[in-house]
Amino acid sequence: MSTTVVEAWTERPLVRFVAQSSARIVVVMTPAGQVLAQHGFTRAVDLMSASALGAAIMASSGALAQQVGEAGFGALYHAGQRHGIHLAGCDTPRGRLIVLTVFGKETSIGLVQLFHDEFVTALRQAAPAMEERKPILAADFESELNKSLSSLFRR
Amino acid sequence: MSLVNFTTREITCKIVYYGPGRSGKTTNLQYIYGQVPDDRRGRMVSLATQTDRTLFFDFLPLDLGSISGFTTKFQLYTVPGQVYYNATRKLVLQGADGVVFVADSQLRQLDENLESLQNLHVNVLEHGMDIRTLPMVVQFNKQDLPRELILSPGEMDDALNFRGLPTFPADALHGAGVFETLKAISAEVLRKLSEGAATARRG
Amino acid sequence: MTDRLSRSLDRISRVRGVRGSMFVAAEDGIMVVQLLMEGVNGRAVAAFAASLARKVSGAAAATGAGKVRFIQMAAEGGTLLVAQAPPELLVVAVADPGVNVGLARLEMMRAAEGAAR
Repeated sequence: MSTTVVEAWTERPLVRFVAQSSARIVVVMTPAGQVLAQHGFTRAVDLMSASALGAAIMASSGALAQQVGEAGFGALYHAGQRHGIHLAGCDTPRGRLIVLTVFGKETSIGLVQLFHDEFVTALRQAAPAMEERKPILAADFESELNKSLSSLFRR
Repeated sequence: MSLVNFTTREITCKIVYYGPGRSGKTTNLQYIYGQVPDDRRGRMVSLATQTDRTLFFDFLPLDLGSISGFTTKFQLYTVPGQVYYNATRKLVLQGADGVVFVADSQLRQLDENLESLQNLHVNVLEHGMDIRTLPMVVQFNKQDLPRELILSPGEMDDALNFRGLPTFPADALHGAGVFETLKAISAEVLRKLSEGAATARRG
Repeated sequence: MTDRLSRSLDRISRVRGVRGSMFVAAEDGIMVVQLLMEGVNGRAVAAFAASLARKVSGAAAATGAGKVRFIQMAAEGGTLLVAQAPPELLVVAVADPGVNVGLARLEMMRAAEGAAR
């Protein structure tokens, strides 16, 4: 199974977590659903949908928690017939992150929770502080954008 | 905030289609989904009620291709327009890099447009974002309806566009104006990441 | 139910050398009721005991040994004891290396029977 990371510092903690927990799928994302690292997805398409939905679940359950006077849910666990889903947020120097873990019968929620805690600690230690954004696109990006969009819409 | 990966040279931006109920936000995404080649778009996810009203959001990932050497990906979201879904609407807005406000051009929907625009301001503020610096464009949808039922783009502009934002008349159902709207918000969002904008700000 | 399980754990923990005992959800590897001395990482013990039980059961089934009723894992620094408590629980005890395993096992099997009732 493949592991890909958008931000390099996530790789080592992620690989270790996958090995320890025997999780099938893991996604590390921002609260807006943008993927920082993933393991187990073979198609980028499904990854993006899963991340958007995972972030939405965290956001809505967090809002629900606030409505009933809770600061927030630590973690959410869904026990399915063949898979379990574990979803939890954590604060790091890189900002708040969400970890979505999908696991099968070869492991258990107990093991996933246990190693998830270690994973979060490792992420916190590895995370760089948020940097101020520098300009990254060339000033004349618009002609390229127009070309891209025209080809996208076959115009 | 847009996610930039310097190793794989990828940019991912989140764009939210906002507006009152039944103004055509989902229709915009459906039209885009139908027009874009399979290899340039992901699966469209719609969390809707049994009557096809958006309950939480619609989601459509798009691959814009290479811009300034960066593979640029956009994630398009819609919010539920109905007033009582504000809690979920607010959640979808979180982390947005740009907003398309889809207004309903029908005369009888003017109050709903204003209410939704106000609601957008409140929700943006509650997320700690500054509406003045948030890239935004306005689409005047349903311009295909009979003239007596709708406000013209000029009238819509007078009624809604206090900030002088870029506006686009549209008929999202048949695709008119959808492409132009997406193009404009893409440019607004990416301009924030460009050297040009930085220079302009410094200047 | 929880009271009854707690009383069973109390009897197991009275065996000299036992540092903690718990009922664990077999499939999930999480604690249901526990009685632990300070320093025992109950969550880790529960998760690993359930994992161990599953693997040992698999090995027993593959070798035709039948249903596993009790597992004893002796390590340098301590002993892990696991008893199956049908239908979905495990009784788990963590003990010092020199623990009287026979006595601990007796109390654990009693606890397992009590849980099944």
